Amino acid sequence: MKNRLELHEITRTFQDGDKERKVLDKLNLEVAEGELVAVMGPSGSGKSTFLSIAGALLKPTSGEVLLDGESILTKNKHELSELRLRKIGFIFQSANLIPYLNVEEQLILVAKLAGMKKSSAVVRAKELLAQMGMSHRQTAYPEKLSGGERQRIAIARALMNDPSVLYADEPTASLDASRGLEVVRMLSDQVKQQRKSAVMVTHDERVLPYCDRVLFLEGGTLIEKEIYV
Amino acid sequence: MYLAIREMKFSKGRYLLITTIAVLVSFLVLFVTGLAQGLAYDNAASVKNMTASHFILEQDSNHRLTRSQVDQNQFEKAASIVGSENAEPLGVKMTTIVSDGATEKIDVTLLAVNSEGWLAPEAISGSPLSDQKQGHVLVDQKMMDYGVEIGTIIIDQASETKWIVDGFVKDESFSHTPAVFLTKADWSDLQAQSLAHLAGNQERDLTYNAIAVKAEKEKVNDLKNALPDTEVITKAEAIAAIPGYKEEQGSLMMMIAFLFVISAFVLAVFFYVITIQKTSQFGILKAIGTRTAYLARSVSLQVLVLSIGSLLISILLVKLFEAVLPNSMPFQLGFSTLLLTSVSFVAVSLVGSLFSVWQVAKIDALDAIGRTAA
Repeated sequence: MKNRLELHEITRTFQDGDKERKVLDKLNLEVAEGELVAVMGPSGSGKSTFLSIAGALLKPTSGEVLLDGESILTKNKHELSELRLRKIGFIFQSANLIPYLNVEEQLILVAKLAGMKKSSAVVRAKELLAQMGMSHRQTAYPEKLSGGERQRIAIARALMNDPSVLYADEPTASLDASRGLEVVRMLSDQVKQQRKSAVMVTHDERVLPYCDRVLFLEGGTLIEKEIYV
Repeated sequence: MYLAIREMKFSKGRYLLITTIAVLVSFLVLFVTGLAQGLAYDNAASVKNMTASHFILEQDSNHRLTRSQVDQNQFEKAASIVGSENAEPLGVKMTTIVSDGATEKIDVTLLAVNSEGWLAPEAISGSPLSDQKQGHVLVDQKMMDYGVEIGTIIIDQASETKWIVDGFVKDESFSHTPAVFLTKADWSDLQAQSLAHLAGNQERDLTYNAIAVKAEKEKVNDLKNALPDTEVITKAEAIAAIPGYKEEQGSLMMMIAFLFVISAFVLAVFFYVITIQKTSQFGILKAIGTRTAYLARSVSLQVLVLSIGSLLISILLVKLFEAVLPNSMPFQLGFSTLLLTSVSFVAVSLVGSLFSVWQVAKIDALDAIGRTAA
C-alpha cells in the first residue's frame, strides 16, 4: 500500500514580538491510499498551520511535504497554484461555494481552470453529483441548498480534478449531527473508492467512527490515540 | 470569462446600477464633447471651411484677422513666392446690417473673397458670387431666420452701403455671427466709401485683412523672409484667435477633462468596493488553485464589458438627442472625435480597474483556512 501524502519532520515557527514561537515541531505524518485520518486538538494547537502547510498554502520553516512521493517545497508560487488545482482537494468549514454559480458550474469551473475539455467536464460533474446523491439539484444555486447539500457539493468539487490528497477543514462545524455524519460517511466512501489519502481536521467526535485513524495535535506534533466511542 | 459573465448575470441589479451610472457619465462626456465641437464649428466655420494652410497677417496683429491689414504689394509678393494659384486675398470685417423688410439689426461678418478663387463658397440656393454682378452678396442661411430672402436688400449700418442678397451658403460663420460674402470689387467700394466717410481721402490703396495661402513648410519660411512686416500663422492659430473661441473651448475642455476623471473614479470606487466584498471568495478561489492572473482578468473583463456596454448605449442616446436638438444648439460629433472619446473612456475605466486588480493580487489564499463564513 503506498502513501499518497507524507510529511517529514515539519517545523514551523512564527515571530511573536521578539520571541520565536514554535507551532509545529518535527511533525511526521503518513497517510496511505484509501485512508481517512482525523486530526483533533484544542484551538491554538496549530491545526490551521498544519493544514496550510500540508495544503501547499504555507511553507514550513523546515521539513518536507511529499505528494505522491514528490516534494512540493521546491516549487514556485505559480507551480504551487497548479499543484493545489490538480493534486489537492479542499473542503472548507462552511462549504464556501461561489454564490453565483449553480451546482454544476461549481464543478465545471475547477475543471476548466485545470484545462479539462468542456464535454468531459460535464460528464465528470454528472458522475460525481450522482455519487453524492445531488443529481436532482444540478441547476440550483448555493443559496437554495441546505448546509449538508452544500458540503456534499464541496466534496464533489474537491474531487473534480481527481486529486491525490483531500483536506477537510472542520467540514461538519456548521451541520447538525445527522447531516454531519452523512457528509463524513460520503467523504469516507469516496476516499475508499477513489483511493485518495484524506486528512480531516475536526472537533466533532461523533464522526470519528468513519475515520481509519485519529491523531491529536499536541506540542507541535501528532500523537496517535485509541478511539473510545 | 466564466466567472465574470456568470457573476454579472447573477447579480443583475448591482451591475445594472453601475451600468446606469456609467451610461449617464459617458453620455455626458459625449454630449459635452459634441457641444464643444458644435460651438467650435459654429464659431469659426468660415475659417475652418477655408482650404488654406496658413494666413499672412500684419505684424503685431496678435493673430487676429480683424486687426490685421495687408496691402496689394504684399499680396503680389506672396503670390509670386507660393504661386498665384495658391494665394488668395481675404477681407474680414465685423459689422451690423439692417435688411429692408425687417426692423431687426443683425450682426454679421463681411468676408471679401476673390469670386473665382478657392475661398469663394458654394451657394446652396440662388446664384454664386460673380465679378459681373456688382453689389450682389451671398449670405449664411441662418439669416433666413431674420426674414432675409433672395432679393432682399441689406444695408451696412456703418457705411450705408446696400447689397442685394443673391443666394445662400451653408455653415458659414465667424465669431458666431453669420457670414456675408462679397466680391473684391465690392470690398474696394466699401473701403472707398468708409474712407471718404472718415477722412475724405480717396487716394489710398486697396487693403485686405489677410492673405490665405496653401504652402509647404519651406515656402512658409520663404514667405517669412520675403515679407518682413508680416507674420505667417497656421490655420489653427488663426482659428484660436477668433474672438471668444479660445475662452469658449477652454471651459468646455475643462468640463470634459473633469468628466473623464469623474467617470474613472466612479467606476474605480464601485469595483474596489465590490472586490473588497468578495475578498474571502477570492481567497477560496486562490486556495483551490485559481491563479491571480485569472481573477485579475476576470475583474478587468467586467470593467471592460460594462464600460463598452454603457458607451454603446450612450452613443445611441447621443444620436437620438442630436436628431431632436434645435438649430440654435450647435452639436457636432464626427466619427473621429467619437472614436477618440470612446477609446479614452474605455482606457480611463481600465486604469480605474487597476486599483481592484491590485487588491485581488494582495488577497492571500491562506485566509481560506479556518474561516467560518464565505
